[in-house]
Amino acid sequence: MMEILTTEWALRALAASIMVGLMCGVLGCFIVLRNMSLLGDALSHAILPGIFVAFVLFGYSTIAFFVGSALAGLVAALIISWIQQNVQTKNDAAIGIIFTAMFSLGVMGISWLNQSQGAHLDLKDFLFGNVLGVSNEDLILSGFVLVYTMLSIALLYRYLFITTFQPKIAEAMGISVKTIHYYLMLLLSFVVVASLRTVGVILVVAMLITPAATALLLSPKLKNVLVISGIIGMLSALFGFLLAYAFETTPGPAMCIVATGFYFLAALLAPKTGLISRQWVRRKESRRILAEDIIRFIDKSPGDEVSTVSIFSNISVPNYKLKAVLKSLINANLLIKSERNIALSETGIIKANNLQRAHRLWETYQHNTMGIDPELVHWEADKQEHHLDDELLGEVERKLGYPKADPHGSPIPKKK
Amino acid sequence: MNEQKVIDVKSLSVSFGNKRVLTNINLDIFQGNSYGVIGPNGAGKSTLFKAILNLIDYDMGSITVWDQDIENVRKKIAYVPQKDEVDWNFPATVKDIVLMGRYPFKKILERMNAEDHKMAEEAMIQLDILDLKDRQIGKLSGGQQQRVFLARALAQKADLYFLDEPFVGVDIATEERIIKTINQLADEGKTLLVVHHDLSTVSDYFDKVILLNQRLIAYGNTEDAFTDKNISFAYGGQLTILNKLGVTKK
Repeated sequence: MMEILTTEWALRALAASIMVGLMCGVLGCFIVLRNMSLLGDALSHAILPGIFVAFVLFGYSTIAFFVGSALAGLVAALIISWIQQNVQTKNDAAIGIIFTAMFSLGVMGISWLNQSQGAHLDLKDFLFGNVLGVSNEDLILSGFVLVYTMLSIALLYRYLFITTFQPKIAEAMGISVKTIHYYLMLLLSFVVVASLRTVGVILVVAMLITPAATALLLSPKLKNVLVISGIIGMLSALFGFLLAYAFETTPGPAMCIVATGFYFLAALLAPKTGLISRQWVRRKESRRILAEDIIRFIDKSPGDEVSTVSIFSNISVPNYKLKAVLKSLINANLLIKSERNIALSETGIIKANNLQRAHRLWETYQHNTMGIDPELVHWEADKQEHHLDDELLGEVERKLGYPKADPHGSPIPKKK
Repeated sequence: MNEQKVIDVKSLSVSFGNKRVLTNINLDIFQGNSYGVIGPNGAGKSTLFKAILNLIDYDMGSITVWDQDIENVRKKIAYVPQKDEVDWNFPATVKDIVLMGRYPFKKILERMNAEDHKMAEEAMIQLDILDLKDRQIGKLSGGQQQRVFLARALAQKADLYFLDEPFVGVDIATEERIIKTINQLADEGKTLLVVHHDLSTVSDYFDKVILLNQRLIAYGNTEDAFTDKNISFAYGGQLTILNKLGVTKK
């Protein structure tokens, strides 16, 4: 399928798509972080009347479309802000009202031009993009928007960062939060117009928020988030384009689907924050607790050894889990296995001692400081003994005045 | 005493919608002092800060800082807002935030230079958070988070500080570190306003107090203004609880 990359129209289309992926990806980070996803969607829908007016005044002209759309976007942003500040309507409702109204005006106007004026304006091209219709003019315009947007973000990075993170602080420092907001709206309008050919007004919001949301799962540092989001945006455009070609379908939606694929991959696989890694941590933790419960069980049982059978009948977790944890304890030299019995090794005994110490100190703590009945302290201590580190235990011991015995009279061992 | 007046608040009134939050406040704040801003919930403490900082509109009154409109002197003012106003999931590291203290001194095309990084580093050292500098802010304890925002204020080398509840949700070590920093700044001739809740430590922590409950109840030297009578006036019916806790004094 690579042969399409040798045809001129395809190269133009691909170049435009990748530029859109990049600028949407980077700008989108600020849209997502400012909780403005809906506003991004709104602005993209609201540019349609701008195209209508531009066509009526100047005919089919890329530049006129661009200016008209950007102005329509800004008008929408201004009306929305005005409602939010002066009318008692919820913010998102205000956005919904204005963008659907402007979108409707645009649809009505373009349909009218098409049907009664005989103009060759296909509404579908504006809604879903028409990437194969990318002209050289479009390409140059996209290039300008890309450079302008990237330069603006680089130069205004500090202002964007602080006004997004803590607008109140920015204001207290003398930065005009409003100016930054409207400038961002201007950039957003530019980017939306540049995306018109590739993804269309309905799906541009996907290119704005999906790569950004993905990048936010992958890095805790804003600069890296911007870079990653830009790269994901470009890859989504590239693979989406190829996917659309392979299955003979529309490129815009294909790009959106690829971006969504990246998003779910990140949600599942992201290191530390991904669902899988979190599940893994949870599993490790539950195995650690089970291992400590086994050690405590053997330690508390009379005699040095415990039969494997009694472990299985006394600790109620699924057998496969118990087997796996027993095996890992033996491998770690905490337990020693003979024919049918299991005993604690020397390191196992130390571990058991420290767990007992944690358990009894916590029982004492509950009784002495919270006045809980000695009959009731055991259960809570059974849970807490797994989570008390040495530092905290030392603090508890100091607070209690180095007690010798727990509320039941059993001695509290020293740390080994 | 030849103390310079830093803030001059004249007959300030603020309301939100139909609700009066502050009524006819007159205040003079003098240089080189730490002021504890004390009052019950809803007394308008944060609102007073925001009004002085010109972050909200007020109905009446005039406020000057160093005899000027605040817009001219913002660089010299640092503001540490309440912790619950922060988005802790934001992709910002400790160093990113402390460096923000240098933003007011940079022109649009100017980059952060070695000097700025050094000041940020010094501030982080002073509050003992240098080894956390690459940590995302949500991955810090409550005390560490508070230190980060105070470090930003220090990096700004401001002359006037507004700290809104810096002691809420922090550990004892952080509280000690913060109060030490506050005292140090006051000794250097800086002026600090600090919203504070724990009445039992007011006398230890602050040279001066501002007692507030929608109206100005009292202000001045702590030993003169922070009296039983004034506290009971500010806290009204809640005083019985305070008596029980044994926090009020003669």
